[in-house]
Amino acid sequence: MAMVVDYKHESSFPYWTSVCRRFEPDSPFFSSGNLERELLAKQVALDLTEDERNQLEKMIDNDARSVFCPIVGCGARLTSLEDFEDHYAARHTASCSVCSRVYPTSRLLSIHVSEAHDSFFQAKVARGYAMYECLVEGCGLKFKNYKGRQQHLVDKHKFPTSFDFFNKAHPSKKKRLKNQQKRRMHKKDEETSSKMEVENETIDGLVSAVSKLSTSDSSPSNISFGRRNARGLTFVPRSIQPPREKK
Amino acid sequence: MADDSPASHRRDPIKSSVGNVAAQRRRQNAVTVGKERRESLVRAKRLCRVGATGDGDVPVEESDMITDEEGFLLDAQTSSAVEELKSAVACQGKGAMQKRVNALRELRRLLSKSEFPPVEAALKAGAIPLLVQCLSFGSSDEQLLEAAWCLTNIAAGKPEETKALLPALPLLIAHLGEKSSLPVAEQCAWALGNVAGEGEELRNVLLSQGALPPLARMMLPNKGSTVRTAAWALSNLIKGPDPKAATELIKVDGVLDAILRHLRKAYEELATEVAWVVVYLSALSNFATGILVKSDVLQLLVERLAASNSLQLLIPVLRSLGNLVAGDSHTTSTVLVPGHEITDGVVKVLVKCLKSDHRVLKKEAAWVLSNIAAGSIEHKQCIYSSEAVPLLLRLLSTAPFDIRKEVAYVLGNLCVAPTAGEGKPNLIEEHLVSLVQRGCLSGFIDLVRSADIEAARLGLQFTELVLRGMPNGEGPKLVEQEDGIDAMERYQFHENEDLRNMANGLVDKYFGEDYGIDE
Repeated sequence: MAMVVDYKHESSFPYWTSVCRRFEPDSPFFSSGNLERELLAKQVALDLTEDERNQLEKMIDNDARSVFCPIVGCGARLTSLEDFEDHYAARHTASCSVCSRVYPTSRLLSIHVSEAHDSFFQAKVARGYAMYECLVEGCGLKFKNYKGRQQHLVDKHKFPTSFDFFNKAHPSKKKRLKNQQKRRMHKKDEETSSKMEVENETIDGLVSAVSKLSTSDSSPSNISFGRRNARGLTFVPRSIQPPREKK
Repeated sequence: MADDSPASHRRDPIKSSVGNVAAQRRRQNAVTVGKERRESLVRAKRLCRVGATGDGDVPVEESDMITDEEGFLLDAQTSSAVEELKSAVACQGKGAMQKRVNALRELRRLLSKSEFPPVEAALKAGAIPLLVQCLSFGSSDEQLLEAAWCLTNIAAGKPEETKALLPALPLLIAHLGEKSSLPVAEQCAWALGNVAGEGEELRNVLLSQGALPPLARMMLPNKGSTVRTAAWALSNLIKGPDPKAATELIKVDGVLDAILRHLRKAYEELATEVAWVVVYLSALSNFATGILVKSDVLQLLVERLAASNSLQLLIPVLRSLGNLVAGDSHTTSTVLVPGHEITDGVVKVLVKCLKSDHRVLKKEAAWVLSNIAAGSIEHKQCIYSSEAVPLLLRLLSTAPFDIRKEVAYVLGNLCVAPTAGEGKPNLIEEHLVSLVQRGCLSGFIDLVRSADIEAARLGLQFTELVLRGMPNGEGPKLVEQEDGIDAMERYQFHENEDLRNMANGLVDKYFGEDYGIDE
């Protein structure tokens, strides 16, 4: 209860401040108003139809509106901000069916699955193989432990020191309750088997857990793409996914 | 489509390069809103198709989609019209003047017929030096008018075509004088307005040649179409980015008075052009803004916003109001004092704009509100208790993206006290709690999810307010309910480091290991 809250970021958070915002006359902020001015002025003289106006406004809007996907390594060009949601949902929500954590690429998801839910992986680690892959695609280096990989990411690839692949996602409330229940239930059994739950993982914990494996939830039954609540479905190709498609 | 064969027999040397390009151009027009049409519609220049005096002898073409043959024909006719003019100008003695006027008139008709006048052909045939000659002092009004009209339409097109008017500028400016007949002065103002609308370079040339004072004077009378054309030309002339012209304009004797007079009484079309002048004055020149704010202009702008429903007028009036609020702190601190009638008036017309169907009005009205909400606590209370808030809440969930962003600024500004020195600003808990209870959080979390950096930043900043400021530690639960944790976790793999740090910071601080343990 009285856990020390992390104040690392406190001083650097840019808090909301209410300030007056002024724009130059040629600022993009005013461009749709400027466009309206010229269209309205020429409407009569140039016989502009309703259709043409809409077309024009759309064209100008789209030029301004196109955006590049900001997820590292993606850079896909999207014609509008609305498109971004669709794109994100389709491409960057690979979720783990075991613990519901979400990753932006299937590669990262499979790395997570190996590292967090695969006993075979842990066994090899215990025997000293370099199993922890660098997260940057194309790098190819592997490390014997999590910390080593972490250091490599910081040193070689300029990842922020706060980046922590393991400790990433915060499970949903449902999952948290489930975890707590499980913990209480398994208290009588091996207390350490609950350490397979990635939440409280430490390197040592992993190694010791390997030696006390329980078979309950250690192997990923399937990997699913799409939002979290699609957990449990086997791999569903994008074309068949429910919401936006016709059939 | 037969592109070359028949044409190559008929083509004469002048048109060999012009004809093909023109033909292609006209073909594209027939399909959708072609690129050239789009550009011409968007330009700050205006074609003169019906004379200043309402000259009715030019039948305006029903359809502007000229076929290839017609295009060739037009170019050929234009070239010969210029040839005619050449010989007419060389003429001396009796009847020479009439000959000149006839030749000019013919050229003018050709240049006014369609949306895409044969400017290239005219320029290639050497029209400009001839037209300059026709502008010489002592020429008849008719001649001056026709020549200026030709130049107006030559200047209405592409940049290089507008630039071709350089030799004519001093004379066009000269004919703005009070000794000129009104139609002539107006047509010259129109031509100069097109030149000014081209770009900064030409604007500077015009200013250095003294175009501003005579145009300003033309804006002073109460009546006539000349006033309106002059106001439009001035708005193009002062639009910067150098603020010098705007500052110079407000200093001209009688200009401020005329602006106020027109805003108060003029018919909508004139008030519109004058409002655009105010837009540029208030956006560029601090000096002009200071003067304007101390005058009655704010009240007049409010009255126009309340009374009119013409989008054309509302846009510049609203923007002028916005610029005056944003440009000078005096506006909110001294004029728009909460509780004063004018302040209520402002909020009321802004609400009217928020309710309108027009995207531009909604967006810019929200912007103005956000700046007023950036004022004192009393200003925030004033807006918070007005009709604006329910509208804003609705817009936050339903409006297009750019409007939602502005609305976010208003709502967020209502929740934080004015910045006082270093450190984080204090929250206005009452406003925050109420707005969150009325459901604004999901709109902000949506912004967190957006690909737009500014929007995401706003969303995260507001989320922080909620996490920090909701009483009884309710914040984290509320954020979680709206899938806020999910939205913030997206940033782990986001390329923007600031956003990543912001999001990670919030998640670490408020959703740490022990989050939710005591449930």
